[in-house]
Amino acid sequence: MLRSQRTEALYALLFLAPFLIHLGIFFVFAFVRTVGFSFTDATLIGQSSRFVGFSNFVELFREPRFLAALTHSISFMLVVTTLQTFLALALAAVLNQRLRGITFFRTVYYIPSVLSSAAVTVIAIWFFQKTGFLNTFIGYIGSVAPVLLAFGGLFALAQAVQVGWERWRGVPVPWLDPALATISLVVALALTWGLVGLGVVRPLEARPPEFTWLTNPDRFLGIPIPLWSIVILNTFTTIPTLMLIFLAGLQDIPKSLYEAASIDGATPLQQFFSVTVPMLRPVTFLVITLSLIGTLQMFDQVALMGDAAPLDSIIVLAYYVYNNVFSGEGQVGLASAAALILAGLTFAIVLLQRALGVSEKAH
Amino acid sequence: MATQAIRPVRKLDERHLARQRWARAGWVYGAMLALAVFFIGPFYVAFLGSLKDNPLEWPFRYSFAQTQPKNWAAAWRLGQLGAGNPWTGGFAPGAEIPFQISYFLEEGQEPEPPTVTVPTRRAGAGLGAIFDEVQAAQYAQVSEVQEVNRRPAVVGGRPGQIVTYAFTIRYPKGDATANQPTVPRLPLDVEAPRGQQYYAATLDPNRLERRGRVASWDSVTPGFFGYVFRNYVRVFNEARDPNTGASFFLRWTANSFFVSLAVVLTTLLFASLGGYALARMYLPGKNYLFAFIVFSMTVPSQATFISNYLVLRDLGLLGSLWGMIVWSAVGAGAVFIMKQFFESIPREIEEAALMDGATPVTTFFRIILPMAAPALGALTILTFQGMWNEFFKAAVVLSGQQASYTLPLGLSFFRSAYGVAGDWGLMLASAFLSMIPIIILFVVFQRYFVEGVSTSALKG
Amino acid sequence: MKKILATLALAVLGLASAQTVVKLQGFGGNDTAIISSLVREIVNPALEKEGIRAEYQGIEGDYRAALLNALSAGTAADLFYVDIFWSEPLFASGRVEPLNKYFTPQELAVFNRNLLNAFTLRGNVYGLPKDFNTLAVQFNKDLFDEAKVPYPNQTDTWETFKDKLKRVQAALKDVAGLCVVADHARFGAFAYATGWRPFNAQGRTVLDANFRRAFEWYTSLVKDGAGKYAQDLGEGWTGGCFGAEKAAVAIEGAWIGGFLRDKAPNMRYGTTLIPLDPVTKQRGNFIFTVSWSMNAASKNKEAAAKVLRALTSPEAQNWILSRGLALPSRSALANSPIFQRPGKENELNRVVFQGSTGVGGAVLPFKFGALDGGNWMRPINEALQAVITGKKSVDQAIADAQAELNRIVR
Repeated sequence: MLRSQRTEALYALLFLAPFLIHLGIFFVFAFVRTVGFSFTDATLIGQSSRFVGFSNFVELFREPRFLAALTHSISFMLVVTTLQTFLALALAAVLNQRLRGITFFRTVYYIPSVLSSAAVTVIAIWFFQKTGFLNTFIGYIGSVAPVLLAFGGLFALAQAVQVGWERWRGVPVPWLDPALATISLVVALALTWGLVGLGVVRPLEARPPEFTWLTNPDRFLGIPIPLWSIVILNTFTTIPTLMLIFLAGLQDIPKSLYEAASIDGATPLQQFFSVTVPMLRPVTFLVITLSLIGTLQMFDQVALMGDAAPLDSIIVLAYYVYNNVFSGEGQVGLASAAALILAGLTFAIVLLQRALGVSEKAH
Repeated sequence: MATQAIRPVRKLDERHLARQRWARAGWVYGAMLALAVFFIGPFYVAFLGSLKDNPLEWPFRYSFAQTQPKNWAAAWRLGQLGAGNPWTGGFAPGAEIPFQISYFLEEGQEPEPPTVTVPTRRAGAGLGAIFDEVQAAQYAQVSEVQEVNRRPAVVGGRPGQIVTYAFTIRYPKGDATANQPTVPRLPLDVEAPRGQQYYAATLDPNRLERRGRVASWDSVTPGFFGYVFRNYVRVFNEARDPNTGASFFLRWTANSFFVSLAVVLTTLLFASLGGYALARMYLPGKNYLFAFIVFSMTVPSQATFISNYLVLRDLGLLGSLWGMIVWSAVGAGAVFIMKQFFESIPREIEEAALMDGATPVTTFFRIILPMAAPALGALTILTFQGMWNEFFKAAVVLSGQQASYTLPLGLSFFRSAYGVAGDWGLMLASAFLSMIPIIILFVVFQRYFVEGVSTSALKG
Repeated sequence: MKKILATLALAVLGLASAQTVVKLQGFGGNDTAIISSLVREIVNPALEKEGIRAEYQGIEGDYRAALLNALSAGTAADLFYVDIFWSEPLFASGRVEPLNKYFTPQELAVFNRNLLNAFTLRGNVYGLPKDFNTLAVQFNKDLFDEAKVPYPNQTDTWETFKDKLKRVQAALKDVAGLCVVADHARFGAFAYATGWRPFNAQGRTVLDANFRRAFEWYTSLVKDGAGKYAQDLGEGWTGGCFGAEKAAVAIEGAWIGGFLRDKAPNMRYGTTLIPLDPVTKQRGNFIFTVSWSMNAASKNKEAAAKVLRALTSPEAQNWILSRGLALPSRSALANSPIFQRPGKENELNRVVFQGSTGVGGAVLPFKFGALDGGNWMRPINEALQAVITGKKSVDQAIADAQAELNRIVR
C-alpha cells in the first residue's frame, strides 16, 4: 500500500469516526444485544436473567396478542401499500402537467406529509369520533345522494345528446370531449337546481351517525374497523411523499418517447401503458419497497391512539415490542424476540425486492 | 377524465381544438382544486372544531358563536369594559358590565325574570385543576334584573314573544388600601324558569345546560382572543408546571427547537464528513461498509431500541433532552444523502486543492463544505422536520419527565390528560399550535422539502 | 455587606445540608393539585423541624409504564402510587420496600382492613392505602323531574331501578336511562351481589348460574329500553353520557365529581347506592384503591417513612376530606361530620364512602389475583359487548368467555 494511500485511509477513518462510533453503539451493539436478549427471560425490573433457548419465540406464537399484532401488521402493510401506490400514481399522472400554478398545488398537496404524526393523529381521532366530522360528512353525502344522482344522470344525458348531435353532423368528437363536458356541466347544474327548487328531487333527512370507527368490534375484510381508521389516516398522510417520487420519475421520461408513440397512433391510454408504465417500473419498485417497509414499522399512530381504540384491535408488531418492554414487568426477552421477527420480515421484503429488481433489469 | 379526452382528432378544425384545449385546462384545474380540498379540507374543519366550545357537537356547524363577527365585536368590547384589555379580557376593580339576554316564550306563558349568578368555577379535571384561580364571585356584584323590552315574534313556527332583560355586573372599587386583584375571568350563569327558551344575548353563551334552562359563560369579559381562541388561550394558561408555574407548552416548544437544532448541527457535520469519506477517499472495504450502512437503514428502530434505552440509562441520559440528541446525532440516511451528493460534484476542484498541499481536513472545510450548500440545505430541512416530528424516541427516552417533553410527546400527554373528559377543544388547539413552526418552515423552504424527498429517494 | 453575604451563605449551606428531599410520584390531573397542596399545607409544615421536605410530581398518561420505566432507570421517586389493579407483579419483583419495618402493627390497624389487605402480599405490607373509591349511582334530577319519575334510591332493586330508567327513557325520547358499558369494572358490582366471586375455592373462574343472572339483567338493559350502549352514544364511559345529558344516570365513583365540575357545572344531580339484587337482597361493589409504596432503592428510607406517616395522618386525611377531594382510608373517619354537609359533591363522597361499609354488601377489591387485571377481564368484557350489540346469544357468549378464561386462569 502506498504511503499516501495509507494516509488517505487514515483520514477517511477519521472523517467517518463519529458516524461509525454512533453506528457501532446504537446499531451493531444494539442489534447484537437484542439477539442476545431474545434467548433469555430478561425483564426490565428483574435483576437477573437466564438463558431460555427458543422458548420466547415459541411463547410468542402461542400468544393471541402477538398473533393479532402479526396479522395486523402484515395486512396493514399490504392494504396500505396497494392503496398508496395506486392513488399516488394517479395523482402524479394528473399533476404531471405543464400548467401555470402547478407548483402551488404540489406544495398544498404535500402539507399532510410534513406535519407531525402526533398532531395529525390527534386530529384524526377527533375526525373518527362517532359524532366527528367523517360521520357528519358521510351522513351529508348520504342525505344529498338523490340530488347527486340526479345531477350525474343529467350530466351523462346532456353529454350523450351533444356528442350524438356532433357525430351525426360528422364531427368525430370523443365521448368525454372537455368542451362539450363543460356545457353539459352547466346544463346539468341548472336543471338540478331547477328540480330541487321545484321539489321534484329533494335531499333526505340527515340522521345522527350510526357508525363507530374507533371502538367498533367488527371487522371488514378480516381487518378490525379501528385499524381501518389507521389505514385511512396513514394512506392520507403518505400519499404526497410517494406522489412526489412518482412525479420526479414521470418527469425523467423523455418526451420523445410519447411523441413517437403518438405518431404511431397510440391513444393516451395506450401511451400510458406502453410508455409510462414500463419507464416508471424502477420508480414503482422503489415506491412499493419504501411503502412496505414504512407501513410494517408503523408505530406512532397506534401509540397515539392510546385508549381511543381497544388495543387489541389496532396493535401492530412495532407497538407490541414497545408495549411489552414498558408494561407489566417489562418482558425484554419476549419483546426482543418479537423485534427480531419484525426485523426478519423487513429484511425478507428487501431481499424479495432485490431479487425481483434484478430480474427486472435483465429484461 | 381529462387525460383520456386527448385523442388524435385529425378531422377537428383548429377552432374546435382550441376550444378543447381551454376546456381541458379548466377541467384539470377543477380536479386539482378538488384534490386541494381533499388534502386541506380535513385540517380546515378540524381548525373550526378547535374554536368551538364543543368540537364534537352534532350536527356539525360551520357557523357558530366563535365565527360570528357580532360576537367578536362584543367580546372585544366586553374585554375592554372588564379590564381595559380587548384581547384577553379580565375583570378589574371599577369595571361595570351591562348585559342583556332575551328569551322566547310561547303564547300564553307569563314571562318571569331569570336568576343571574356569578358562580365559583374551578377546573375539575385536567391540569387546570392544579391552580387555585382568583374567583370573580368574590368581588362581583350583580344588579337587579330588569325587563327592558317585549315584542311579539314567531320562532320555529310557534307564535309568542321575545322578552329582553338587562342587568349590570360591577366590581366596586374599594379604597386605595383594599387588596383588589384583577380577576382573569368573569363566569356567569343565567337560569330561566322552564319553558323560557334562550334566544339571544349580548355575547352568545359557551353552553346551554340543564336542557336549555341555564345559559353559561366561561367569561362574559373574555376579550377577542379569550372568546374566539378560547381553547388556544387555555393551552397556555392551563398546562403549567405545578411547581414553577411555567407554561408547559412553551417549554415543550423550546425543547423541540433545542433538540431539532442540535441534531441538525451534529447531523450536518458528521454526515458530510462521513459522506465525503465514503464518496471520495481511499478506504479498503469501503463498498462493504457502504452496503452495511444501507442494510442498517432497513432495520426497524424497534429492533434496537431496547439496548439503546439501556445504554442511555447507564449514561444517565434518560429523561433528558441530551439522551434524544445523542441517540439521533447522525443517521445512516443522512450519510447516504451526502455521499450521493459528493459523488455528483466534479473531482477536479478538490484535486487542485490537494495538489497545493492542503490536508484533507482543510480541503474539506474550506472547499468541499461550501460547495455542498444546496445538499446541506435539503439535509437541514429533512433533519429538522424529522426531529421536530419524532415521537418514538421521545416516548422511549423522555417518558414521565414532563418538563423535558418535546411537542409530539406533549400532544400525547394532552391526549391522555384531556381525552377522558372529551375536552377536544384543547387537544385540537394544541395540535394546531404545534404545527405552526413546521408550516412556516415549509412555506419558506418548500422547494427544499419537495426536492429533498424526490432526489434522496430516486438516487436510492 | 460582607456580613450579609456571609449570613446568606450560611443560610444556604444550612438549608442544603439539613434538608432531605423526599420525592413523591403519582397520577397527574387532579392528584397533582390535591397532593401538592397537601404536601405544602400539612406534610411539609409537620416535618419542617426534622429537616425533611416532600415534593410531588404527577404523571399524565400511562402511569404504570412511566413508573416501571423509572424503577428500571433508577429515577423513581422515594414514594409512589401503586394501583391495586396491577400491584401484585410489582410487589413480587422486589422493587418495593415492605413497610412492616417502619410501622408498628398498631399503626397499621387504623386503616380500613379491606384496603390494607389488598396491599399485603405473603404477610408483608407493601403499601398504605392513600384513599379509595367505590361505585355509586348518580342521577340527573332535572331529567327525572321532567319525566315525572321518582329518583332512584337505596331501596331500589335491579327491577325497580330498571323500571325507573325505562320510564325516563320512554318519556324523554332523546335521553337514555343509563349508558351501558361493556366493562367488568361496572358489571362486576352486580355480579358480586349475586354471591358470585371471580375465583372459586380452587382458584378457577367459573361463570355459574349466579353470574349468568347478573349477566342477563345487565345486558337486558339496552334491549328492554332502560339504557343505550355507550358507544352508540359516542361515549366511552357512563359519566361521559351523564355529563352530556345523554343519560339520566351514571354508575361511577367519586371521580365523576371533578369531571362534572368542568363539563356541567350547573347540573343538579344526586347520588345513591347501587341497587339490590332482588334475589339475595344484597348489593355488590368494587373498591378501587391506590397505595403509597416505598422504593426499595430509595436512599432516604427513614425520611420517606416519616413522610408516608404524615401523608396518611389523621390531619392529612381530614384536610383532604374537608375539601371534598378524596375519601379517607382510616376507618375512624367514617363518622366524620364532614360527610353530613349538604351539597351535591358532599353527597357523592358520602355515598361512595358508604359503598365500602356494611350497606355496600359484597365489596371486593378491584384486583384479580396475580393476573394482569386487564387480561382477566377481557373475555367477560367481550362477552358483554357481544350480547349488548346482539352479536351473540347469552349462552354462546358465556360459553366462549368460559373457554377463554379456562385458558387464562391456569
